[in-house]
Amino acid sequence: MLLTDEEKKMRAGEYGPGIKRAMDLLIKLGDSFDAEKLVPITYGHISYDFTNEDFWDLMTEGVPKTAHRVTTHPSYSPELWKKWGLPLADNWADEHERKLKRFLELGWLRTETCAEYLLGIIPGKGDIVSMGGSCMQVANNSLFGARVDRMGILVSLAAAVCGRTPLMGLLLPENRYASHVVELGGLNVSEWTIAHYHCLGYYIGDQIPGFKPVAVNGLPPNLPFDYARALVISMPTSGSVTLGHIVGTTPEAPTLETALGGKKPEHVIRVGKREMTQTWERLNVWDDDIVEHVSFGCPHSTIDEIGRIAALLEGKTIKTSLLIGASAPVEALARRQGWADIIENAGGHFLPVCSSISNPFTRRDVAGEKQAKSAATDSARSAHYLATVSGVKVFFGTEEECVNAAITGRWKGEIPKWK
Amino acid sequence: MEIKAHMVSAGKAEGEAIVYNGPFSFLGDLDPATGKVRVPRHQLEGKSLVNKVFVFSRGKGSSGGDFAAWAAKKNGNTPAAMICLESEPVLSGAVIVTKIPTVDRPEKDVFDLIKTGDYIKVDATRGVIEVVGK
Repeated sequence: MLLTDEEKKMRAGEYGPGIKRAMDLLIKLGDSFDAEKLVPITYGHISYDFTNEDFWDLMTEGVPKTAHRVTTHPSYSPELWKKWGLPLADNWADEHERKLKRFLELGWLRTETCAEYLLGIIPGKGDIVSMGGSCMQVANNSLFGARVDRMGILVSLAAAVCGRTPLMGLLLPENRYASHVVELGGLNVSEWTIAHYHCLGYYIGDQIPGFKPVAVNGLPPNLPFDYARALVISMPTSGSVTLGHIVGTTPEAPTLETALGGKKPEHVIRVGKREMTQTWERLNVWDDDIVEHVSFGCPHSTIDEIGRIAALLEGKTIKTSLLIGASAPVEALARRQGWADIIENAGGHFLPVCSSISNPFTRRDVAGEKQAKSAATDSARSAHYLATVSGVKVFFGTEEECVNAAITGRWKGEIPKWK
Repeated sequence: MEIKAHMVSAGKAEGEAIVYNGPFSFLGDLDPATGKVRVPRHQLEGKSLVNKVFVFSRGKGSSGGDFAAWAAKKNGNTPAAMICLESEPVLSGAVIVTKIPTVDRPEKDVFDLIKTGDYIKVDATRGVIEVVGK
């Protein structure tokens, strides 16, 4: 790989051991993909809580304040977990505090969300951004046309420390054209909810080999943002799609021909009622109908979503625990609006946490004997990780079915009757 | 029998093969506390990957694959070596940081030539897979 004089100094350790180690990792990764060089990032996004502490220390050792912006993924809240009576919360506090202190010393921005675009942090079309978090990668690539390659959480810390990333994969315009097309032959989407788009995205992710860009054709133009987001963020859960064009909606796909770069697709995948039914069934992993927890906010909730949940919960008391994953600014807006009080009075909770992978109510290593053994969600991504990472029974259904499950403690969700 | 392949992460290792013709993520698929596959209804559910040569099709899933691999490695619960058809940046980053010798793009059909239980040597640095025997 070609390195600039500055990069050679970074690699030689002239700027300290952290930058040296981070450069070494970026170069090894770049070399394995035949990257020609490293390129500067517009900004970086990392996760201090997800990064193993020994790795965090190795990468940040001796690193000065960075000139470029670095933001962060959803974070833990051990002090709130403890207040809510989750027995093992204390085990998480010290490491969280140590890494957060170092994070702030580096001058990095405490966004703590997987949906920074809701805070007005939106990359420009063509901006090169290094990010951990496959839901952030696919959203920024697909919905805003930023250039974001697939990248692990640990590697994203190396890129943030160095302000550089290997020039490879989806950073190269020629790799951004769709090779696979999804055709929604005959499916009527007029009554679809967010959960339906999650289900479609989860099916698509499973069908695409590798991380080839895909174009979804046949949806109404200018799809509402929440639907477009649900569709693309589910893809890298069942597979590794990192760029999902939605024809007529996303910036690089005004037409199918543009999304394909004028070429013929390698493969066309047709999705109909059978595929949607099978995927919906696959996302449901349960035997009896008892629901102990309801999880929203994967990815982090929009203010509209919180408003709808508040309307359904007004004056009610819930039988399950209920978590809404949301960034602090969006939660603050919900509070000003009176919606946070309605949800909390019903028994719900807000956290700036990743409500799927590190949901404190379903993680045995946080909740101990209070661990919820079953959880309902309207997010395919959440369903997948609640079942695999937390190992709990999962009910997947619409937002309304999930709120009803919170109120009754029972699952009454049904497989949609596809039109 | 030798099969040429492309280096993802340097090093040499050997062990018994465990073969799965499907995608894999360190996060979710592998329990870092036991080294076993923990996905409900998965073909390898309950099977251990520890110290095996894991043959699979490709990487998938969340970008947390590398921190999950790091956690599994600290517990000694990772495969000895990995062989896949085509790696991707999350999987590649995970095996580079955890120093698991890994190759991709094998020049022959590994799903035809390698069966679970075969003894395999992987020299990732040279890009060579050796199928020693059953």
